[in-house]
Amino acid sequence: MKALLIFGLFSASASLGAYAPQQAGSAPLEPALEARVQKLGKELRCPTCQGMSIADSPASVARAQLDKIRGLVSDGKTDDEVRAYFVARYGEWILLSPRAAGVNWLVWLGPALLLIIGFAVIVRQIQRHPLERKSASPASGSDEAVEREVRSSAGTDDEYLKLVRSELKR
Amino acid sequence: MKWKVIVALAVSLAGAASLVFVLYKGFGQDPHKVPFMLLDQPAPTFTLKTLGTGEVVSLAELRGTPVVLNFWATWCAPCRMEHPTLDWAFRQYGNQVKFLGAVFEDTEENARAYIARAGSPYPQLIDPRSQMAVDYGVAGVPETYFIDAAGVIRDKVAFPMDRATFAAHIKALLGPRASAELGK
Amino acid sequence: MNSILGYSAVLGALACAIFGAVVGIGSGMARRESALPWVRRAAIGFFAFMLLANLVMVYALLSHDFSVQYVAHVGSRATPTVYTVVSLWSALEGSILFWGIILGTYVLAFALSQKDEHARYLSLALGAMLGVGVFFAFLIAGPANPFGKVSPVPPDGPGPNPLLQNHILMVIHPPMLYLGYVGMTVPFGISVAALLRGELGEAWTTTLRRWTLIPWALLTVGIILGAWWAYAVLGWGGYWAWDPVENASFLPWLTATAFIHSTMVHERRKVLKLWTLSLVLGTFLLTILGTFMTRSGVFNSVHSFTQSDIGPTFLVFIGLLLIFSIALLATRGQLLVPEGAIRSPLSRETAILVNNLLFVGITFTVLLGTLFPLVTEAVRGVRVSVGEPYFNKMAVPGGVVVLFLMGVGPVLPWGSGSPRVLRQQLIVPVVVGLGVIGLCLAFGLRGALPILTFGLAGFVTAITLRELLLPAKVRILEHREAPWTALVRSASKSRRRFGGYVVHLGIVLIFVAVAASSSFVTHTSGTVGLGQSIQIGDNSLKFVGFQNGAEPHRRWQAANLEVTSNGGSPRLMAPRMNFFERSTDPIGTPAVRSTPTGDLYVSLLAFSEEEKTATFNLWIFPMVGWIWWSIPILVLGALIAIWPGRRPKVALSAAVSGVATANLAKVKRGAA
Repeated sequence: MKALLIFGLFSASASLGAYAPQQAGSAPLEPALEARVQKLGKELRCPTCQGMSIADSPASVARAQLDKIRGLVSDGKTDDEVRAYFVARYGEWILLSPRAAGVNWLVWLGPALLLIIGFAVIVRQIQRHPLERKSASPASGSDEAVEREVRSSAGTDDEYLKLVRSELKR
Repeated sequence: MKWKVIVALAVSLAGAASLVFVLYKGFGQDPHKVPFMLLDQPAPTFTLKTLGTGEVVSLAELRGTPVVLNFWATWCAPCRMEHPTLDWAFRQYGNQVKFLGAVFEDTEENARAYIARAGSPYPQLIDPRSQMAVDYGVAGVPETYFIDAAGVIRDKVAFPMDRATFAAHIKALLGPRASAELGK
Repeated sequence: MNSILGYSAVLGALACAIFGAVVGIGSGMARRESALPWVRRAAIGFFAFMLLANLVMVYALLSHDFSVQYVAHVGSRATPTVYTVVSLWSALEGSILFWGIILGTYVLAFALSQKDEHARYLSLALGAMLGVGVFFAFLIAGPANPFGKVSPVPPDGPGPNPLLQNHILMVIHPPMLYLGYVGMTVPFGISVAALLRGELGEAWTTTLRRWTLIPWALLTVGIILGAWWAYAVLGWGGYWAWDPVENASFLPWLTATAFIHSTMVHERRKVLKLWTLSLVLGTFLLTILGTFMTRSGVFNSVHSFTQSDIGPTFLVFIGLLLIFSIALLATRGQLLVPEGAIRSPLSRETAILVNNLLFVGITFTVLLGTLFPLVTEAVRGVRVSVGEPYFNKMAVPGGVVVLFLMGVGPVLPWGSGSPRVLRQQLIVPVVVGLGVIGLCLAFGLRGALPILTFGLAGFVTAITLRELLLPAKVRILEHREAPWTALVRSASKSRRRFGGYVVHLGIVLIFVAVAASSSFVTHTSGTVGLGQSIQIGDNSLKFVGFQNGAEPHRRWQAANLEVTSNGGSPRLMAPRMNFFERSTDPIGTPAVRSTPTGDLYVSLLAFSEEEKTATFNLWIFPMVGWIWWSIPILVLGALIAIWPGRRPKVALSAAVSGVATANLAKVKRGAA
């Protein structure tokens, strides 16, 4: 019900033809500090947008927040303190990259774990069938014939050259 | 090597089950909701000028009185809809609670023009570049913060309220003794 | 009238789908091929009814029939005609209806393209595909019904989402993506048929390959078009935000690409059967999961719609599919026993196996990252965000390793390779790669990851070009053919191989363009008054004035800039802000000037008409245009690979008698 009310009001607002004024942000700081501001802006999420960072977002709220970052950085706060400031007000949700603590380790280490286990399985699989010195299996299809002739043209497998050329005559 | 098959089967079924479970838990949650972090935290202080008279209002000086702080903007239609409710609430509770409005992401001219037309019985604060709003964790408008006499944020409402809802929140802010005095 | 007609058509489609699924799977399992014509008819009926339903909806949209629920939801008299048609897929219910017709088209195309020699599998395959059709027809008839009646009939509607009306790409991107996405139902049906049937013949594997390549190619184009749209329309200067819905389209692409490679090993060595089939089933599952992510409202995304009844229905379907797929693979274990073995670490089979693992790893990473906010909410009650910084850190290194494999894989031979030969083959490409790295460093470029990417790109390009051109060179030397004839003949003799390597070239191009456009960006922003200039790189941009306009559905304000680059003649760029009736925030359209070396990208942030100032965000993105220009290369490669040949594509051993070969060739020629 509440949601319906809000939806109704928001559509009504749109029809009144009012737009958030597009105000420019505060002036950039000197290069070294401004680089820090932009970097932090990329790490924090704009709360009214869908997954965009404060630095990327065109929303006026995002510009206000970038101004706040500028203010904090020029006050001498460290990167961690700036992040803590925003987390204290908006929640962990505002960080675009989850902090490596507790359950979050799953998302940082999970993929690596999968790859390591996978590699181990593959290595074991191949080791179980040790390399045999026999030559590769006979030609089976035009693709492999072409392969072989490419290799032979590199000048090393002369014994296959005749086979390849006779196949090419097809 | 049957055990390999069993392990693989168990792992895949466990994976599938956890996937479905996680997705299922996602229902009913609003992915756009912003968490209310400042609950029971001291309200961030500010010292800002008001629109009409230019007088300076400082939150620290208001210690001892509960404060209702409403963020709004001229381009926000729900805020405009809420305006009469806020006026009414001021008339009802203005002697016990300090009402403050703060303009969010808007220009002074817009706000002045709107107040000139619609009027406002309580002070409207000018928040340059919405820095005070960011300090409060505001993510959109309208948002109303209920701060008790000790300067601690007790409640936040992030949607436009009607009279009954407003009254309920103010009564909760004032505490049981005060609301008994207020009556209905 | 439209509502009734449309809804009846949907019910008709549902009936045909149920009939086809039941008869198809039933008769297929019972090994009775006589029912096949009925299953075919069911497929035709499903297609016909879905087509009717879609046509009725388009007619209702065009005639502004606001008594139909969906039209009342997205229609508007002010919308231009093109976008009115596009609004068929602009919102939830219409997009599911659109899904239905695309599914119907694919199933029909497949049914008509297969001749009766595959009758054994065809009933099962069509039955499985129509089974999926049952789900979607049920969705359209039930939770996602666009044909509901609205009364009283409103005079006008809100129009489609303003973002969708900003650019013509919006017309092509969703259909392309759908053609890719929905198309994955066909390989799913084919592999389910093989598994249910208990046989995985070679001819059927060929069919599986071809019918995966077709949607794969379309999905690739769809994803790149989506990135282009994000770049050209949204104005934040990026083309990929790792948004949940972008990831949803990327995941099945990853597993489908892994499948395309894994199937080569399956074909030649009869190993990796479990991998290959799991990848196909996984691809389809990921498309359904992806649709769930887009439509359930559970995810916070640019594309997301509000929560509706669709979500739970999809979740049930996903659950059923998961159980079904796992059970199928588990009970058909004897079908998946490898008939050979991978014997050497220095073989192409190993490279592809490692490639499989890598792709699955990247898929897992992206999936985990996208789902993780839900995981933490379920476990801790706190939602976290997993955005660009995470994905860039985790997925990009994997991509670089894939690039490396793209070079090493083609060099490794099938079977076992001798290290000596290998070393000789690698000399030239490694020299080229190192040369590229040297050039980059000489030009003053810095940054380990991009320079490594460029070096690997040189390495891979050298190898790929050699694989493409050497057969032609042999033909020129031996047969004295003209160069172009030699190239064409060598391509037509091994279409899949040639097409595959052309696609590799396209992918290398994308890697290079992505590395260049994300690592060597120049950015500046500032506010300028009338007549003032702002510099970036070699460009000087002078703000010369405002311009505005009004169209029926929006009005816009542009800031005109005179751009002089390198002292050339001035050109006009006009980034703008569009104000739509239904939105309080304007949506910007950036002005982009593309050259082969890079793009100058200007976006209007803010303006003040009284003070005559405008604030701009400016970027120079090196080589970004090459991402979109890879599309023709990828399409060309895919077409070459998909194109059916006169000769049997199937690998026949020398033991097959000449008669059988001749007969098969006759049949293929007849079918071609």
